[in-house]
Amino acid sequence: MAPKLPPHHPVEQSTSAVAGGNAAAHPEPPRGILRWLLTTNHKEIGSLYLIFSLIMFFIGGIFALVVRAELFQPGMSLIRPEFFNQMTTMHGLIMVFAAVMPAFTGLANWMIPLQIGAPDMALPRLNNFSFWLLPVAFILLLSTLLMPGGGPNFGWTFYAPLSTTYAPPSTTFFILSLHIAGISSILGAINIVATILNMRAPGMRMMDMPLFVWTWLITAFLLIAVMPVLAGVITMMLMDINFGTHFFNAAGGGDPVLFQHLFWFFGHPEVYIMILPAFGIVSAIIPTFARKPLFGYASMVYATASIAILSFLVWAHHMFVVGLPLAAELFFMYTTMLIAVPTGVKVFNWITTLFRGSISFEPPMLFALAFVVLFTIGGLSGVMLAIAPADFQYHDTYFVVAHFHYVLVPGAVFAIMAGVYYWLPKWTGHYPNVKLAQWHFWLSVVGVNLTFFPMHFSGLAGMPRRIPDYALQFADFNLVSSLGSFLFGASQLVFVAVVILCVRGGEKAPAKAWEGAVDLEWSVPSPAPLHTFETPPTFQRQQH
Amino acid sequence: MRTMFVWMAGCLIGLASLPAAIASGWNMPVGVTEISREIYSLHMIIFWICVAIGVVVFGVMFYSLFKFRHSRGAKSANFHENTTVEVIWTAVPLLILVGMAVPATATLKKMYDTSDAELDVMIVGQQFRWRYEYLGEDVAFTSSMSTPMAQVRGEEEKGEHYLLEVDNPLVLPINRKVRFLMTSDDVIHSWWVPDFAVKQDTIPGFINENWTRIDEPGIYRGQCAELCGMNHGFMPIVVHAMEEDDFDAWLVERREEAEQEAMGVDRDWEMDELMERGEGVYASVCASCHQDVGQGSPPVFPALAGNQQLLDDPAWHLDVIINGVSGAAMPAFRSTLNPVEIAAVTTWTRNAWGNDTGDVVQPAEVAEELAQ
Amino acid sequence: MWGVIKSVLAAFFGVQKEQRRREDFEQGKPLAFIVVGLVMGLLFVVGVAAVAITVAR
Repeated sequence: MAPKLPPHHPVEQSTSAVAGGNAAAHPEPPRGILRWLLTTNHKEIGSLYLIFSLIMFFIGGIFALVVRAELFQPGMSLIRPEFFNQMTTMHGLIMVFAAVMPAFTGLANWMIPLQIGAPDMALPRLNNFSFWLLPVAFILLLSTLLMPGGGPNFGWTFYAPLSTTYAPPSTTFFILSLHIAGISSILGAINIVATILNMRAPGMRMMDMPLFVWTWLITAFLLIAVMPVLAGVITMMLMDINFGTHFFNAAGGGDPVLFQHLFWFFGHPEVYIMILPAFGIVSAIIPTFARKPLFGYASMVYATASIAILSFLVWAHHMFVVGLPLAAELFFMYTTMLIAVPTGVKVFNWITTLFRGSISFEPPMLFALAFVVLFTIGGLSGVMLAIAPADFQYHDTYFVVAHFHYVLVPGAVFAIMAGVYYWLPKWTGHYPNVKLAQWHFWLSVVGVNLTFFPMHFSGLAGMPRRIPDYALQFADFNLVSSLGSFLFGASQLVFVAVVILCVRGGEKAPAKAWEGAVDLEWSVPSPAPLHTFETPPTFQRQQH
Repeated sequence: MRTMFVWMAGCLIGLASLPAAIASGWNMPVGVTEISREIYSLHMIIFWICVAIGVVVFGVMFYSLFKFRHSRGAKSANFHENTTVEVIWTAVPLLILVGMAVPATATLKKMYDTSDAELDVMIVGQQFRWRYEYLGEDVAFTSSMSTPMAQVRGEEEKGEHYLLEVDNPLVLPINRKVRFLMTSDDVIHSWWVPDFAVKQDTIPGFINENWTRIDEPGIYRGQCAELCGMNHGFMPIVVHAMEEDDFDAWLVERREEAEQEAMGVDRDWEMDELMERGEGVYASVCASCHQDVGQGSPPVFPALAGNQQLLDDPAWHLDVIINGVSGAAMPAFRSTLNPVEIAAVTTWTRNAWGNDTGDVVQPAEVAEELAQ
Repeated sequence: MWGVIKSVLAAFFGVQKEQRRREDFEQGKPLAFIVVGLVMGLLFVVGVAAVAITVAR
């Protein structure tokens, strides 16, 4: 078709293709631990990210279970309120920055080069550096729990002045670790943008890219835009704590509300950073198992971009009760309600893709379908929260906790698991054990709903979030939530078993592991060899 | 496949039994003010809209999942675009949202109209209690949780209003527009009473406004809604709403009590008197941070029992209570406690839990200190 | 110019005919779309703010 279209193949891609003309040209990789420390291979780094994220998912999960165990019944029975606050804070920080974000980066590392027909990421050494910053950052963060005065105890939103004047001494370490994690995210995002813009297979235009690549491209721009804002705000905290400035200290003429504006200017795009790649994964899985092309590819791309742009205009809906002027309150209510439109479009597109398809229910599809249903429930409670007057009642209650866990757990986390089940055959050469995967799925679905659905009720009935003990009328809801959380936590052990079994053996998968799969990654053998697409593939355009 | 439908049926039965189990106490309270009722109805409208959207969307989805199964030999169609449908499902949600925004805007404007108040109450958040000042009425007091820590630790049976009871409830008249001016002495708190639909952050250095007009006398309970530190879960709010006459009488009574207290400053107090008074003040004001037997919660909240600096330096001790410690969590009690209370609590902390200094601090000394 | 504005509006709304999209990609100048997109994005923000401020009066 058109000669004027984007592909930039001539120079960039031919060099890498020539360099890797045959497998013998690669030097033997170092053995043992050094191989992993020094690797610049996108597949190995992708695996490192995914393993790191899984470990952190369990650590953050254990913190959540400590919280749920304390809330199992009224009264302080297991831990002290100080430690409870550290557990809620650490759970949030670890899950956001060390579990969900690295999991998506890991999937991006593995799959983006394979999906666009590139031999590796654009900046392989940077890729290695971005990963190895993460263990440093989070070992530092976890070590604060052992310091005098304990770790961060001011919630993952760390509002000043609770996180500055009134914070434990370990807060400086917390700031350092967030800085390191932030650098890692920015470098990773730059790498992804460079890869997608420069290394697509000849003939693949932007509007031919799989949606996972599109959503990650937009996510990467979000990361580059907002991570520096986070870095700025924690640097201001650092100055307030250690160098006598008064950015957020009212007694010195500072402004505690400024902190919240800055934090949520980062924080709201951040929540879309955690969900847009999930949209991409689900948009790959649903057409595959409905054996039908994705409905409305172009509007999916538009919707992703709209959500990303609007995410910069809605931050103060987290601050409806801080006393904003009426006009600001209205502005942020309107823009927030608008976000429901592109998000709704996505859900409608997925469902129309299912309509008149030929649907089968392999494990990745089960998770993707549960994602659509449960994410939509989270989205609908989000619309309720957008109504500013009603938010005066919802704000800072368990209703909010229910809302964001619905979009993050059966939302982001289920999408990650769907992606893992979908691509495991490509990674390991084996299909995951279907029976075990089904057990994992159903136990997770039941667990997640038992945990988070009652939180809607306890929130509406008046239970504030982040309290270590509660009045007697909330006891039943909390009992159910706690039981559900133990079930959900335990069922993730099944997931680990599935993954380990799949790595070690199982039914052999062909290159095209799923009948309805179409993207480029299914054209390389399963398991994918260490080096793929050393000569750029010829891209066959499908109908989009 | 069969197992899948068994599981699914199980989930559906579980979900279907939910509404049956829904009683009052599962939903937002309707409340006792005009605003709270409007918010409740906004909440229910948007809730039912969401339910309707959910039924349609999930209906189509589950129909497709059932009807177009590969295992039943469904052949997939190949359509992937339809501009008309896409325009419709973008425009319809937009219209629904505009429809929601109109009543929401109207309610929000009412909530922001704090003009023509008949009574102004200043609410000050402090770690971990509330201070209420009736502006222009010379009445002010502190309100702390009165649930004994023994109930929290499970050593005593929990009472009916466990964690939602205070020593001095905020007293308000019904049928009068009350304006709240809210601020904080330390970190950000949030004053929330669900029955009034009033939730507003109290922020150091800012004064936020909100208002209410209560329709029915009664006792209404709420809690701090913004994480404010260790005892965030233990700073409840209790409002006692009274008939207007009763309220006026209560106000007069409180004012007289305050005057009597002021006269007590000049006389010489016995140690026993001060100790008794001090124990109460300590429990209400200090114990939430420094703990019930002065063991503190280091490093942010130091121990008082056996604190060497406290034992050695009475002048420093009194200064810390009056002026606070700048840059740390200890607030100044100069304006929140009166001289008798400061003298009493200083005497108590110098003699309780084995501190046994034998020191007695007289209200008159404190008054002198305060005057400087 | 009007064509570019229409295409940007369609992108804001999220729905565009495949035919029009192809034409835009084949004939349009990227810079024109970027500039018009930014300007209209700004207009959108100013528009919502104007509504909010008017209603708040």
